[in-house]
Amino acid sequence: MKVTGRRFAIVLLAALAAALPLAISHPFLLHIATQALIWALLATSWDLLSGHTGQISFGHAGFFAIGAYAAAIASARLGVSSWAGMGFACATTALVGLIVGFPALRLRGHYLALVTLGFGEIVGLVATNWQDLTGGPFGLHDYGTFSGLPVDLMAQRQISYLIVLAVSVATMLLLWWLCRRTDAGPAFHAIREDPILAESLGIDTTSYKLLAFTLSAAAAGLSGSLYAYYIQLVSPTIGSAGNSALVIGMAVFGGIGTTWGPFVGALLLYGLIELLRFVGVVYNLIAVGLVMVVFVIFVPRGLAGLRLNPQRRKLRADALRRQGG
Amino acid sequence: MAEEILEFLVIGFVLGGIYALFAVGITLIFGVLDVINVAHGEFFTLGGYTAFVTIVALNLPPAASLPLALAVTFVLGLAVYPGLISPLQERLGRRASGPLFLVLTLGLSTVMQNTMLAIAGGEYLTVPPLVRGSVDLKFTFVSNQRVIIFVVAVTALVALFLFLRWHRQGAAIRAVMQNPDAAQAVGIPLPAIFTLTIGLGCGLAGLGGALIAPLFNVYPAVGFSLTLKAFAITILGGLGNVLGALIASFVISNVEALSVLVIPSEWSNAIAFGLMILVLLVRPQGLLGRRRP
Repeated sequence: MKVTGRRFAIVLLAALAAALPLAISHPFLLHIATQALIWALLATSWDLLSGHTGQISFGHAGFFAIGAYAAAIASARLGVSSWAGMGFACATTALVGLIVGFPALRLRGHYLALVTLGFGEIVGLVATNWQDLTGGPFGLHDYGTFSGLPVDLMAQRQISYLIVLAVSVATMLLLWWLCRRTDAGPAFHAIREDPILAESLGIDTTSYKLLAFTLSAAAAGLSGSLYAYYIQLVSPTIGSAGNSALVIGMAVFGGIGTTWGPFVGALLLYGLIELLRFVGVVYNLIAVGLVMVVFVIFVPRGLAGLRLNPQRRKLRADALRRQGG
Repeated sequence: MAEEILEFLVIGFVLGGIYALFAVGITLIFGVLDVINVAHGEFFTLGGYTAFVTIVALNLPPAASLPLALAVTFVLGLAVYPGLISPLQERLGRRASGPLFLVLTLGLSTVMQNTMLAIAGGEYLTVPPLVRGSVDLKFTFVSNQRVIIFVVAVTALVALFLFLRWHRQGAAIRAVMQNPDAAQAVGIPLPAIFTLTIGLGCGLAGLGGALIAPLFNVYPAVGFSLTLKAFAITILGGLGNVLGALIASFVISNVEALSVLVIPSEWSNAIAFGLMILVLLVRPQGLLGRRRP
C-alpha cells in the first residue's frame, strides 16, 4: 500500500528532525527545541478542545500555568520527584478542566471564549496575589529540575530534551489516536459541527464535552509541568492572555482540528519567533499577529491543509468516493 | 464613612465613563456584525499615544488631543471592515464562522500592540492634563481632568445615543442590529453600515484613551487589560445590548471603586471577571438582555 510508504517516510523524517538537535548539540539550539516542544504540546491540547470539539478556549495558558504551579509546588513543598510532580500537575489540571467544563456546557461560541478568557485572567490574579502558595509576582524557583539528571551540563540539556520530546510526542500521538481511532473523535467532531444534531443522534454530548475539557486541560497541565521542570522558574506571566493568544496563533498556523498540525505549527512558529529575535524582539510578535491574520483569511486549514501535490489529493478523493466514503 | 463612600463613588463614576466609552463600542460592533473586536483595546491605546504626540511632541493645545484621537482611531477603524472582516466573510460565505473572527481580531490586536511597542518603545509615557487644578466638592477634591473625563464621556455617549435614535445612519445601524437580511432588503447597504459601525466603536475607544491618558500613563499594553474587563462588562449588560453595556460599565466601575473599602485593592480586578462568570451561569442573556433565538 502506498500509505504505508508515505507513513514510513513521515516517521523517518520526524525521527531525523528530532535527532538533529542532539546531533548538533549546540546549547542554544537544544534550548529552543526543548521549549518549542513544550509549546507544541500546549497547542495540541488546545486543538483537542477547540479544534476538534469546537469549544473555543481563550484561556489555555491558564491551564498551562496551573500545571506549572502544581508541579513546582509539589516538588518544593512535598519534595516529590519530577515524575510524581508531573502526574500531580496532570491530575490537578484535569480536575480544574472538569470544573471549568461544567459551566461551559451551557455556553457556546463567544460566551465560552469570554468565560475562558476570564478564567485565564483569574488564574493570573490568583498566582500574583496568593503569595503564601505561589510566591507572588516573582513566582517559584529552586524546586529542582527533572529527577535523575546527570551532573554534566551538556548531558543535562540533552536528557531534558529527550524527556520533553518523549512526553510531548507520546501525548500528541495519544490524542491523535483518540481522535482518529476511537468513537470519541467522531463524537467530538459532531459536537463541533452541530451539537443539537449530535444529541439527536444519541451522542452523549455532555460527557464528551467534559471529556474534551478534562483531557485538554490535563495535556495543557502536563506541558506546564514540563515547562516548570525545564525552566525551573514559574511566575504569573506564563498564564497571561498573550500566551493564550500565541497558542491559538500556533494552532491556526498549523491547521486546527488535525492534532499534528498544531504540533508542527507550534514548532515552526516558535522557531520563527526565536529566529526573529535576532532582528528584534518586538518584530517576532508582529509576525505572529500577521500569521494569525493571513492564515485565518487565506489559509484557513493551516499548514496541515496545504497539499504539495494537488494531483495526489484528487486521486485520494476519487479513491474515497469509489469506496463510498 | 459616608464621605469615604462618596469619594470612592466619584472615582467610580469617572472610571465608569471610560468603561462606557469602551464597552459601548464593543457591544455596538458585536450587535451589528456579530464580531467581538479583540483589538478594541489597541484603538484605546492608539488614542492615548495620539494625545501624547499632540500635546508633548507637537506642542499643540491640549484640547486638540481629543478630536485628533477620535479622528485618527475613527479613520483607522473604518479600514477594519473592508481590510480584514469582509475578506473573511467572503471566504466563509454562509458557513459558520466559529472562532475565526475572534482569532482574526486577536491577530490584529497582536500586530497593533507590538507595532506601537516597536515605534514608541515600552516606556510609560506621561501626558499632562488638559486643565490643571481641582474642584472642591466639600467632602473631597476632584481634579479638573476627572471632571473633564466625565463630562466629555457623557457628552460623547449622549451624542451617540442621539445619533442612533434620530439620524438616518443611526437608524440604519439599529435596523442592521435587529435583522441584517431585512435591512438589506429595504435597501440599507450592509458593507457601509459595517464599516461605519467599526469606525464609530473604535473612535469612541480612541477618545477614551486620550481622555484617561493624563491619569494613567500610556504604554503599548494599556488597552489590552481594559479589553478583557470590557468583555466582562458587555456580558453583564448582555452582548449586543448598548444600553445594557452603558449601565453595566457604571455598575462595575462603582463596585470596583467601593470594593477597596472591603477587600484588598489588588483583588479588585477579579471582581469584573467573577461577576461575568456568575452572570453567565445565572443569567446568560445579561442583566438587561433578552434571550437570543
